[in-house]
Amino acid sequence: MADTAALNGINGLRHIRRSPASHLAAALEAGSIEGTVVLREGPFRTMVGLRVDPRSEEGARVVAVAGGLPLRCGDVGGADGVRVLWLGPSEFLVVASEDVHDSLGGTLIDSLTAALGGAPGQVVDLSANRTTFELSGTRARAVLEKGCSLDLHPRSFPPGTALSTEVGNIPVVLEKTGKESFRIFPRASFADFLGRWLLDAMREYASPEVP
Amino acid sequence: MLLISCPNCGSRDETEFHYGGQAHVPYPEDPAALDDRQWAEFLFYRDNTKGAFAERWLHSTGCRQWFNLLRDTVTYEIQAVYPMGAARPDRAAAAPESGTASTAPDSTTTGTAAPDISGTSTAPATSAGTTAPEGASK
Amino acid sequence: MADLLPEHPDFLWHNPDPQKSYDAVIVGGGGHGLATAYFLAKNHGMTNIAVLEKGWLAGGNMARNTTIIRSNYLWDESAAIYEHALKLWEILPEELEYDFLFSQRGVMNLAHTLGDVRESMRRVGANKLNGVDAEWLDPQQVKELCPILNISDNIRYPVMGATYQPRAGIAKHDHVAWAFARKCDELGVDIIQNCEVTGFLKDGNRVVGVKTNRGTISTEKVGLCAAGHSSVLAEMAGFRLPIQSHPLQALVSELHEPVHPTVVMSNHVHVYVSQAHKGELVMGAGVDSYNGYGQRGSFHVIEHQMAAAVELFPIFARAHVLRTWGGIVDTTLDASPIIGTTPVDNMFVNCGWGTGGFKGTPAAGLTFAHTIATGTPHDLNKPFALERFETGALIDEHGAAAVAH
Repeated sequence: MADTAALNGINGLRHIRRSPASHLAAALEAGSIEGTVVLREGPFRTMVGLRVDPRSEEGARVVAVAGGLPLRCGDVGGADGVRVLWLGPSEFLVVASEDVHDSLGGTLIDSLTAALGGAPGQVVDLSANRTTFELSGTRARAVLEKGCSLDLHPRSFPPGTALSTEVGNIPVVLEKTGKESFRIFPRASFADFLGRWLLDAMREYASPEVP
Repeated sequence: MLLISCPNCGSRDETEFHYGGQAHVPYPEDPAALDDRQWAEFLFYRDNTKGAFAERWLHSTGCRQWFNLLRDTVTYEIQAVYPMGAARPDRAAAAPESGTASTAPDSTTTGTAAPDISGTSTAPATSAGTTAPEGASK
Repeated sequence: MADLLPEHPDFLWHNPDPQKSYDAVIVGGGGHGLATAYFLAKNHGMTNIAVLEKGWLAGGNMARNTTIIRSNYLWDESAAIYEHALKLWEILPEELEYDFLFSQRGVMNLAHTLGDVRESMRRVGANKLNGVDAEWLDPQQVKELCPILNISDNIRYPVMGATYQPRAGIAKHDHVAWAFARKCDELGVDIIQNCEVTGFLKDGNRVVGVKTNRGTISTEKVGLCAAGHSSVLAEMAGFRLPIQSHPLQALVSELHEPVHPTVVMSNHVHVYVSQAHKGELVMGAGVDSYNGYGQRGSFHVIEHQMAAAVELFPIFARAHVLRTWGGIVDTTLDASPIIGTTPVDNMFVNCGWGTGGFKGTPAAGLTFAHTIATGTPHDLNKPFALERFETGALIDEHGAAAVAH
């Protein structure tokens, strides 16, 4: 759970919010192998579903707010802590830190809504739709490869890219954030299953490698 | 397992897709004018071709876009991938109504598992430039 | 039920060359084609007839199904025809003088959700009203009948109960085909293998002959019994059928001691399991989503099915898959078969059985033979006419068909 003390808003009820995988927190910690593969939940990111034609006039207005829209599968746009993941030719997922959420005093969603204006498209607050798993370490890719059929080798999946796909049969957005780190965005209802699935996939790396 | 080349996302496993049945079946222009036989044809009768079959697929786990495949229903070889609204490529000569049918074969046994996305750059910096997102600048 | 397999039989039928002409030609030498020929000869005295099979006898879906026989369908029309089939199954071993190992070990259809439970109870009630034996079992009763089933609450789709039909069961599919074939042969029916139909001869709108790779055969009447290939034949004859052909997969494990006393089906998690007489676990999956004539499907379908099977039957976790295969099922929009006349005079069609053709074999044969011989449908197959797609009198059996069409 994120530190909530500094966060006001949501009618002062922020402290009772539970993230979809919060019940797994201890298990995630116990199952992580420092330096090899570490899994934690990064809860409560602000997420906005965005549908707009990026080449249109309203698209340009949205670009100004979001910091850039990705144009191709795999691309990630955005700037200054806001990342815009490509979901489709005119569909994007804006991901930012929790504190930019309008309910906590931020203006991201309002600004995007205003940028779209009355033009065709939509801006929807999806912050409660998905949670985030952060998987990192030398074995992170090996863990994912047990349940993801994409080529995750850096030559075709470099840092700074993101793809909608399946991990462990669960539909997720998979983002490569660094050389050995990934963010996995499952829908909230799949968080328990995917969390346990990842822990199971990580388990073998706690044992010494059999030569 | 079919390996299907999504026009937007590249080759992906069949599990990421939903099947949409026969392609190029237009909704009747004037449904009220149809008799029972014609309505039954529209509602219940679809081609069940043995051989090259034009069909719709939806990349439901990926870009959520529909597209057409030309696929052999015996060998399961995918002969062409082309956009919704485009004419069936192997009959395009007979019906030259539209343009951009791409023929990107992707057999069920070969192909890359992921789109080649190396070298893509992030986002058009068009009007955005260095403008800080208002929400994030707080 | 016999405990031991019989010796491999001697030749049960001849392999005649096709004659120039027959009173009727059945296209398709699977269970339905053979049963139709048998009842044409036995009930209607039509013995100058031929069954044309493009491959080998009973090598299509008859060789690829999971041999489950039951009649617990929802609607009156379906209950009538499937129950009639079950009654025929009960007398056929004696009538055909062939023990094809019909084993009435019961079939359970599991319920995993409250919706399943309601639907199942409704079906039990409907079955009872139609004279079909049916019971509702609570999880404990399920466990008593099938001790290897996991009925704990702690699984993704817990067993909340089941419908149970005690008279249902399994039979040995190839023996069924051989039993029909031998009787057909005795009655004078020509069973012609490796004879592929390549076209039809018509006089106006009336069919008068069949073109095959072994010459042209003139005939008064034609009956199509080609399951997944029915659309191909219909196209040759100049009409369309409202069916779509899909791959349907099944598999067997290696042999095990008897552990599974009944048949368990789960519509919700898409798996059905029985243990064959020899000891293999026989499991079926759902259909592959796409149209296919390839007699093979995608591996993830089997993987999905195995995941469900292992959760329901933890004892199976270390069983090994011996073989997997696929058949081509001809599905209709209402998951019910089409048995009746066609737009072509003197041509009749029996198709659309989807995933349920094996259990229907005797009734399909009986009613289709009646339709061919008399030119009008039997009371049992009257509701299953092609015309129902125009009149809207559909018979929606998606719930009872078990694996979703």
